[in-house]
Amino acid sequence: MRIGLVCPYAFDVPGGVQFHVRDLAEFFLAEGHEVRVLAPVDDPEADLPAYVTSCGRAVPVRYNGSVARLTFGPVTSSRVSRWLEDGDFDVLHLHEPITPSASLMALWASSEPVVATFHTANLRSRAMHAANPLLRPSTEKIRARIAVSEEARQTVRRHLGGDAYIIPNGVDTSRFTPDGATTRWSGTPERPTLAFLGRIDEPRKGLAVVVAAMPHILDALPGARLVVAGPGEVDEIAAALDPRVRAATEFLGAVSEDDKVALLRSADLYVAPHTGGESFGIVLVEAMAAGAPVLASDLEAFVAVLGDGPAGLTFPVGDSEALARAVIELVRHPGERHRLRDLGLRRARSFDWNVVAQRVMAVYETVIEGADNSPTESLVRGGLLGRLRWPTRGEA
Amino acid sequence: MSDIDILQVATIIALVVLGAAWYLSYSASRLDRLHAKVEGAVSALDAQLVRRAEASLELATSGAVDPATSLLLADAASEALERHTHQPLSHDPLDGQTFAGREGTETNLTEALRAVLTAETVEELRTDADGPGALSLARVESTALRVQLARRFHNDAVREVRRVRGKAVVRVFRLAGHAALPHPVDFDDDLPPAVVD
Repeated sequence: MRIGLVCPYAFDVPGGVQFHVRDLAEFFLAEGHEVRVLAPVDDPEADLPAYVTSCGRAVPVRYNGSVARLTFGPVTSSRVSRWLEDGDFDVLHLHEPITPSASLMALWASSEPVVATFHTANLRSRAMHAANPLLRPSTEKIRARIAVSEEARQTVRRHLGGDAYIIPNGVDTSRFTPDGATTRWSGTPERPTLAFLGRIDEPRKGLAVVVAAMPHILDALPGARLVVAGPGEVDEIAAALDPRVRAATEFLGAVSEDDKVALLRSADLYVAPHTGGESFGIVLVEAMAAGAPVLASDLEAFVAVLGDGPAGLTFPVGDSEALARAVIELVRHPGERHRLRDLGLRRARSFDWNVVAQRVMAVYETVIEGADNSPTESLVRGGLLGRLRWPTRGEA
Repeated sequence: MSDIDILQVATIIALVVLGAAWYLSYSASRLDRLHAKVEGAVSALDAQLVRRAEASLELATSGAVDPATSLLLADAASEALERHTHQPLSHDPLDGQTFAGREGTETNLTEALRAVLTAETVEELRTDADGPGALSLARVESTALRVQLARRFHNDAVREVRRVRGKAVVRVFRLAGHAALPHPVDFDDDLPPAVVD
């Protein structure tokens, strides 16, 4: 299959959408498909994979409440058209198609079957409402809409109407193996370890929630140990802690990927006390894949990742006492932790790229089948009227 | 003086008429495209449903499931296949948008699959990874997923057609011609929980 992927953000700058496009492209290439990616590129000297074509330099622009590196203008427009022509794709997969960048331009110029993936969960309505009549005829070309999360799906429903099929982000779970030697973080019944991951000075990561739960936890489990992995001003945070909590807490600072895996594998419990701003809980999937029982705040995104099982326990967002009760309960019941661990390992597999990309491929196949069965326009209405349709490539 | 006025007025009228004509034909062809998309989507859905029924029948006759399971599944699957053969979508799918009342039969098949594919059965079928049972199960899984996708994409396309057809200009100038108003297809297509994870 000839697949064209379009990424609206600069490909040489790290970001969730970029990684998603890269992983998808590499998966399909390995499966033997022909894949090309069109994206803006920041640094013309950047070392890009062979499948990437630059559609121009990205410029920082304020859009949707933050500064994004986008590309637009006549040069980009003609590069998009040329890329589409050269590619002769069976299916065109656009990411964030209503961001004013390469994806939107490709949608405008496309005549092949279009699949669109919506990533953002916090689109501002002002921009969309203003532009909606302009975008309608283009968005009607989309044959399949994918949302990466329930929140992204709600965004689609609110702004475009209609629905979107949820296919979550893929995670490379193969790095997070559950087995391995004991580490310095491995817990014992007397000294159980709780793992926390994330920036310690970013309130929405919720370190404060665990810290507030620690006195209750230490009352019941005097040997409990909290291992905190994540960048931030350790001294400042540590100084503010109750001495008993300070003694039970180990700050690792920023950790390597290997240490992260080792920590998750060894911890008796992974605690995710985030208080908001998470559209998808990648770290939960990683913890589950590494075999850590998960205890998380009941954010919508987290509940969705844990599934119907559920493959982890939740507590009300920001409720330190509920967190403490759940920790004590779980530490005292190894059987329950084993059950969560097994459920988590199974659940994590459904987020593996292997599974996720197969679903995306099912979307491609369904869309191509639909396009092949659509009557061609000349049969429906040809002649002069037929030529006065929305601009397609070559006419625009 | 009056000559120029008439000329100016005539020019303006001509431009307005041209503009209106362009807008009407643009709207008509946009609607045609949307109709074409629905037609493609409905035949894709039809094809996936046939494949799902065939895969279910294959699983029923694979010899890898017990006779009761086999009979239950075969019954629902062959009914779906029969309804497809006896009441196919009309040759011009735009006239056959009611989906020939097949929703009930397809819901039955979904329910049969859900009843039959319990966690234990799925696990047992998967133990012999290259056996006929596991292969049929994989086909059922993949076709059931595609049924879900095809139905959602179809209903999205239907929603777009219906929105455009609700516009005053489309109704007053009858831009939709004789094309029947497409309807969303609604039946239970949830995957059996045991195959989801």
